Amino acid sequence: MSYAADQPPTSATRRRAQVVAARVHTPAPAAVRPQYQGLVTRGIALALDAALINLVAVTVGVAVALILSALGLRNDFDPIAAEGGGAAYVLWSIGYFTMFWSSTGQTPGNRLMEIRVVKADDGGVLSARRALLRFAALVLAALPLFAGFLPILVNDRRRGLHDALAGTVVVDAPRAAEAAVVTPPAARQ
Amino acid sequence: MRTARASSGLALRALDAVTLTAVEAALRSRTAERVVDRLVASPLTERAVSRALAGPLVEAVGREVVHSAVIERLADTALDDEALDALLAGPAVERIVAHTIHSRVMDEAVTQLLESEELWILVDEIARSPAVTEAITQQSIGFADQVADGVRVRSRHADTWLEGAARRALRLKRAGRVPDEPAAGPSPQ
Repeated sequence: MSYAADQPPTSATRRRAQVVAARVHTPAPAAVRPQYQGLVTRGIALALDAALINLVAVTVGVAVALILSALGLRNDFDPIAAEGGGAAYVLWSIGYFTMFWSSTGQTPGNRLMEIRVVKADDGGVLSARRALLRFAALVLAALPLFAGFLPILVNDRRRGLHDALAGTVVVDAPRAAEAAVVTPPAARQ
Repeated sequence: MRTARASSGLALRALDAVTLTAVEAALRSRTAERVVDRLVASPLTERAVSRALAGPLVEAVGREVVHSAVIERLADTALDDEALDALLAGPAVERIVAHTIHSRVMDEAVTQLLESEELWILVDEIARSPAVTEAITQQSIGFADQVADGVRVRSRHADTWLEGAARRALRLKRAGRVPDEPAAGPSPQ
């Protein structure tokens, strides 16, 4: 009989043993099949994002206009201000979608509707480049009276033109499941 | 001289005792009871009571009640007594309370209470208390969550319905939703 076997198990040893036992005896979670999200859900999320983008843009625009008028520069700088404002709006929109898609895969609108944009091939988070491409494709899909979104209705994975071009899908992302993933079982006990 | 004083004192005490015995006997007699009954029933007593109540006697009694702390003494005695619990639990008190609530006194009391400034100061204090504000915040969040849940559920139903309609219009078969599953990799969640 070895020396270690003679010793009573310490609390650390016991805890390690419990962790190993839990890992061995707990069945591996079944692969969660993502549920692809449809046109209405995604449309609502996009509308919420558009509302948020415009709210921020209008707030900033009004603030800038007030500052310019206070400085007495507004009349002289009208064309420049308009072009600058337009450019800032486009950049803000691009930055908004690109940043959220490439960081968490969820814009605030997506989060409210509990959906997420992921790569179609491996379900991973989009790179910034792919997110940028998706935004360009989104604009392209929206240009012909949103006809680019119609394939969502008939595609098996509910992919629109922009999804096909950027290699993405939109899946469900319930918050309860996220909390379960984020909080490890040990921390929950 | 001393003997004469002693004998007269003895005689007075004996007379006193005899008188008291006679009075007690008279009070215990049926005749005394009948006399009292007639006195109480007679209009003379009624007039006497009316005059007494109309005169300064009531004020004098009230002053004495306050001066001698009669109410406090009665309350102390009553609160120590189990009879009070029995009295409060009885139907008589219930009837009195119900009668009071339905009486005009209650309406007037409520009206005066609502008109008093102190009440609104109290309400304001309660409304601004951390416990109340926290409860309202929690309820608002809960309500917003409920609304968002409702929108999500309805949008998903709408997705299904819209796709069904689109497929019927295009005479497409309802295909399996996931023919090209994302490869194993990071979870889409």
